[in-house]
Amino acid sequence: MPSTQAAPEAAVEPAAPDVSVVVIVYNDADRLPRAVRSVLGQSLRSTEVLIVDDCSTDGSHDVALRLQAEHPGRVRALQLPANSGGCGAPRNHGVAAARGRYVMFLDSDDELDLHACRNMLEAGERTGADLVSGLSVRRHLDSRHGKTVEWYPWLYSRTRQLDSVDELPDLLVWDTLSTNKCYRRDFLLRAGLEFPVGILYEDLLFSAQAYLAADRIALIPNRVYWWDVVERTAAKSLSNRRHEISNFTDRLEIHRRIDRMLADRGMTALKAHKDVKFLKHDLVLHLRDLPFLPAEFRHEFSEHARDYLATLSAEAWEQVPHIQRICAYLLVRDDWANLLPAIDTLLNRDKLSEPLVERDGRVYWCAEHLDDEEGRRILDVTEAGYHTRPLEKLFLRNRLTGYRVGPAGLHLTGRIVNPLGKVAPGARLAGRLEFTARRRSLQSFAFPVRELRHEGDGIAWEAVADLARRLRPLGVVDAVWDVRLVLEADGRRTTTRITVGDHGLEDAAGMPVRPRLTRLVGDRLEPSVTARGHLAFHLAAEGAAARRTTDLIRRTLRGEAGAGARRAVDGAKSAVRGARKLKRSLNDGSTKLRVYHEVLLRLPVVKGQVVFESHLGKQYSDSPRALYEELRRRGAPIRPVWAHSGSPEGFPEDARLVRRWSWPYLRALAQAEFWVDNQGFPLKLAKRPGTTYIQTWHGSALKKMGFDMPAFKRMPYAEQEEYQRALDRFDHFLVRSEHDVRTLARAYRIGEERLLRTGYPRNDVLAQRRPRDTALMESLGIDPDKPVVLYAPTFRANAAGQVRGFTLPFDPDDFADRFGDRLTLLVRCHYLNSVVLPPSVRGRVVDVSRVPDVTPLLLMADALVTDYSSVMFDYALLDRPMVFFAYDLEEYSEDTRGTYFDLVEKAPGPVVRDTEALYAALEDLQASGERHADARRRFVKEYGEYDQGDAAARIADLFFTGTARDGARPGSTPPGDAAPGARRDGK
Amino acid sequence: MTSTAADTAPAGAAPSAARTRDVFIVSNSVDEMGGVCSWAHRMAGLLTDRGHRLHLVGVVPVPEDRRQVFSAEPPYPMTTLYTEHPPPAWSPRGVRGRLDLAARRRNAAREAGMDAAAARLSAVLRQAGPGAVVIVTQVWAMEWVARADLSGLTVIGMSHESFDTCRASSRFARVKRWYRDVDRLVVLTPEDADRWIREGMNSTCGIPNPLPFETPAPSPREERTVLSIGRLSEEKGYDMLLDAWAEAVRGREGWRLRIHGSGPEEERLRRQCTALGLDGSVEFAGRTGDVPGALARASVFALSSRGEGFPLSLMEAMECGVPCVAFDCAPGVREIVRDGEDGLLVPMGHTTGLAHRLGRLMDDRELRDAMGDRARANIARYAPEAVVRRWEELFDLLER
Repeated sequence: MPSTQAAPEAAVEPAAPDVSVVVIVYNDADRLPRAVRSVLGQSLRSTEVLIVDDCSTDGSHDVALRLQAEHPGRVRALQLPANSGGCGAPRNHGVAAARGRYVMFLDSDDELDLHACRNMLEAGERTGADLVSGLSVRRHLDSRHGKTVEWYPWLYSRTRQLDSVDELPDLLVWDTLSTNKCYRRDFLLRAGLEFPVGILYEDLLFSAQAYLAADRIALIPNRVYWWDVVERTAAKSLSNRRHEISNFTDRLEIHRRIDRMLADRGMTALKAHKDVKFLKHDLVLHLRDLPFLPAEFRHEFSEHARDYLATLSAEAWEQVPHIQRICAYLLVRDDWANLLPAIDTLLNRDKLSEPLVERDGRVYWCAEHLDDEEGRRILDVTEAGYHTRPLEKLFLRNRLTGYRVGPAGLHLTGRIVNPLGKVAPGARLAGRLEFTARRRSLQSFAFPVRELRHEGDGIAWEAVADLARRLRPLGVVDAVWDVRLVLEADGRRTTTRITVGDHGLEDAAGMPVRPRLTRLVGDRLEPSVTARGHLAFHLAAEGAAARRTTDLIRRTLRGEAGAGARRAVDGAKSAVRGARKLKRSLNDGSTKLRVYHEVLLRLPVVKGQVVFESHLGKQYSDSPRALYEELRRRGAPIRPVWAHSGSPEGFPEDARLVRRWSWPYLRALAQAEFWVDNQGFPLKLAKRPGTTYIQTWHGSALKKMGFDMPAFKRMPYAEQEEYQRALDRFDHFLVRSEHDVRTLARAYRIGEERLLRTGYPRNDVLAQRRPRDTALMESLGIDPDKPVVLYAPTFRANAAGQVRGFTLPFDPDDFADRFGDRLTLLVRCHYLNSVVLPPSVRGRVVDVSRVPDVTPLLLMADALVTDYSSVMFDYALLDRPMVFFAYDLEEYSEDTRGTYFDLVEKAPGPVVRDTEALYAALEDLQASGERHADARRRFVKEYGEYDQGDAAARIADLFFTGTARDGARPGSTPPGDAAPGARRDGK
Repeated sequence: MTSTAADTAPAGAAPSAARTRDVFIVSNSVDEMGGVCSWAHRMAGLLTDRGHRLHLVGVVPVPEDRRQVFSAEPPYPMTTLYTEHPPPAWSPRGVRGRLDLAARRRNAAREAGMDAAAARLSAVLRQAGPGAVVIVTQVWAMEWVARADLSGLTVIGMSHESFDTCRASSRFARVKRWYRDVDRLVVLTPEDADRWIREGMNSTCGIPNPLPFETPAPSPREERTVLSIGRLSEEKGYDMLLDAWAEAVRGREGWRLRIHGSGPEEERLRRQCTALGLDGSVEFAGRTGDVPGALARASVFALSSRGEGFPLSLMEAMECGVPCVAFDCAPGVREIVRDGEDGLLVPMGHTTGLAHRLGRLMDDRELRDAMGDRARANIARYAPEAVVRRWEELFDLLER
């Protein structure tokens, strides 16, 4: 499109364009015209293109000359006198020839977005910025689904302007591209900005210089640059050849130069930021290749790294995740025996790749370097909590030690780490090798592990898998097969992946295989290594016929083959897709809802069937449990069903167990005579009139609930009504006091006729002051002779209502040192949180967060420390000392949700604000307990008057055993008995 | 970054000579009551004053009961493409839907009608000289504009609501489809523009609405009255305002809440008002034609909406020097009100917070005066001249 800026003076000298785009090219004649077209077709017409050829040998310059001839005045073709081998020299050459007020860079294999120049120009003129930067998007050209990845999108979430890059250190640190930017040309000239020549990573240095020199930087959220990548290219691009040592030394040199600039300007905070990125990103890029490289290279690498790592700020070491810190440290120490496993964890973040050691109550990554103070600090992985995790929650490193193909099939040996001796020496061991197709396939194959034995600090294994005979892939759709080893120790199961590591697969043989489709689509399984270093197999073609077919299929997928072949392959793929889709749609939520409402609800009600659920199936606990146990004690004629959210562990064996949202769960609910739950059965499930819903609820309220919460008030009416319908399913709602009636019942709009003033079944044992559960105490390792203090804080949410992570507000070691000989502290965080305690406090501070039910813990505790948790209302029934550790009271009570009453005014115990005050209160427990005796009684009267110890019995009488007189049923009727005034399901 | 009309003097070179253009503003209708049409006529008037040649185009005529009556004949031509409303769009469902011959015929007629209407539009546009601009104020109208001959024209699409409001409606998909190829999408605020850009609409910017009327007299802020003006609909959130008022009026005898407006929720709101025991302090005053007059009898303005675009009612209140308390429900609200400086913002739905902030202003005469005066001064950044300049700059940019 010709410029419409046909100003009169154009006759003399063409007006300077708004933007000059410097397109550099080296041996890329095919793609160059596409890049140039993306500039000429810009919505901003006032642009010019400078093509700078780095002395290509493929005729790129001729193509450039042709483009110049076709677009006179808009395209200029330039050429360097000699090949420079990099991007720096051609870009510098282009800038020198540019005439535009602004300059941008484009590589010959990429494209500019249609509106890139206009959006950049607009931002530049609006803000007067020297440098405008926009979003770069990586486009994976070989991906069949048009995969794109935005580059550092968090930097470009909104329009903003910076007077110094100091305001957004992440920009300098992460976005080191020079191509997604637009520079004022006189800024480049004035600041003397040039790309370095003869060194890799020229972008890093140039961008850093530009950021630092710019008086103002504008960022725009618009995509400006399409960075096209082709994954499966044979010749890797320059910066991908990481195994060349000069590559690494170039990177270090560039970083040193940037560091000098930062030091000259005294920008230490920015330097620390950049150091963090070096540890997190730059170093990792190189480390991941090291396991596959020869030893002498590794030593040279660590020599270079050591000097540079010594210049990093101490604060940077603190800020990176522990595994990155450990890798850098081991690299400095040139300790490859420990570094190689550490790199495995670096690539597989959840993986535990070392056996770990425990010293002086802390857990360390390895036994070496612990005499070095820095080593001890860096290798301390106590906070990661590996020592508290059960075997099934650990992902263990499993290293391949042998690979052989023999007459019996594939023969593998390996070694699994056994951290901290988690797998006991005498444990029963079993295992199996599982082969599964990478793309969710319809089949998988398992082979027993022949031998498993303890060997030092690991478990050695040996397996034979007759893949040739037993593994039958479909072909085409399941070309890649992953291998997992499932280890079982005394019935506890953990799944491992097999790390190839330095064993190498160069000489490893594949084996023949017979796909179900036909051997034409592949006739061998060849071993390979995944991006994360694990053993996998892929279907390959060796025979001539098979090679021809697979080639045809490949071309078809790329759209290069004939229509017939395409139809055949498409047919096969769509059949598999169809089968998978059918399976998915049969089990998706909307199908389930429809079948539930249209079919299951029409099945007859099963007399006596009661579905219990506690906290959305996460626990066997609370009032549903107490009621269930009461009914069992009485031998009530019920058919109980308990719902769990995934694992049936800990749920009663004498009830039918169903997983939440499973088909059996839906059917059980549809046919139940009673629903008993403390939080809410799925809101979308309607309740039939023949079912009675007893909502026990799970605690009195301090914070605003239900329709008293802003989140509900602001809902559109339709959503409010939908929620109200779900609430109207409650036939009965348990309350502990008139406070509950004023708060919960009002907030959930539950009418008087549906309230049961029985108190909570879970609190019966508290009101009765039952003795403590000594068996539980023993299993938790709690000294029965020392007093027990329970610390039970509630969770905290951020402004958006999401749960925030929890950290103990005091140092557990400190606490144990001070009180450990006198009392035992139990820590129970909210079920949405978790906490890690060091081994050093064992037996003195005990994490009881995984005990499903809190009530036995309350009985066990001689005193309670809490903050705003509703546990305060329950514990008060025991009439024992309570301390309120409200270290963030202002923040908590002033957030947007609000509270029903003032905790400080009503608290039946001291409200302390910091650790020292907490310790003082604990020293003074006895006396302050006595001082607050009256307050506690008032508190119980106000918030727990109906908790009389007979709640479960009263509810059992009312609904299940039929011994009570009708008159005793508050506002309710027994099932099937439609008395007037009884509200059944809100209809 | 909060770029507003007042601080947009371009730092780089920009064309300055006032160039006049043919500008076509295309809406669903040219004379419908409501915000978009008011905007179109206001902008048309302002651009005409600057020497541009305006032409308003509506797709369909408006039924009598929703028609806007002009006090004087506008000084620019107006064209309506249809003489009566065309049949609704047809999207067949299932095999049976596809076989519905009657619907097929209706649709064929609709298609033919659209082509004819688009041809009439092309005829109007053909009169344009170089540099002409078409502004499409509503995405529905874009379906006709897209069929017309647009060669040589710059096309600007508009979305007159907040990103979130649009996303919750069927218009969201249509904006992305029909405005995909326009030269520029203009929305109400820079913040909304950023959201649209992240959504893939890569040529988008925000330009605010101009002030609705010229500098009225400031309110004396004498009456102990909190005022709110708006339709009594769910979206305006008066249920939440009443909840908040119940808390705010406690212990503040003599204060009244006056709500101007009518609408479908009136009955429900009156019931809620009675249930909360607020009949003595809340007045449902019906619709008003004299907004400055209503503001003159108030000291605080409240906005409790669940969603907004660029609320005129806030701009009106601030122009009259009445300090506002508003739910922070849209970028437009935070752009107009500077929290703590010339008004107070509350997280949406937080009725207790709304009550506290109303209470702060009700209790503190000096604060009311200070915020009200600042509001009147600050709102001047949406003066018509500033907003018109933004548009002219955009026209120039799109031509470069």
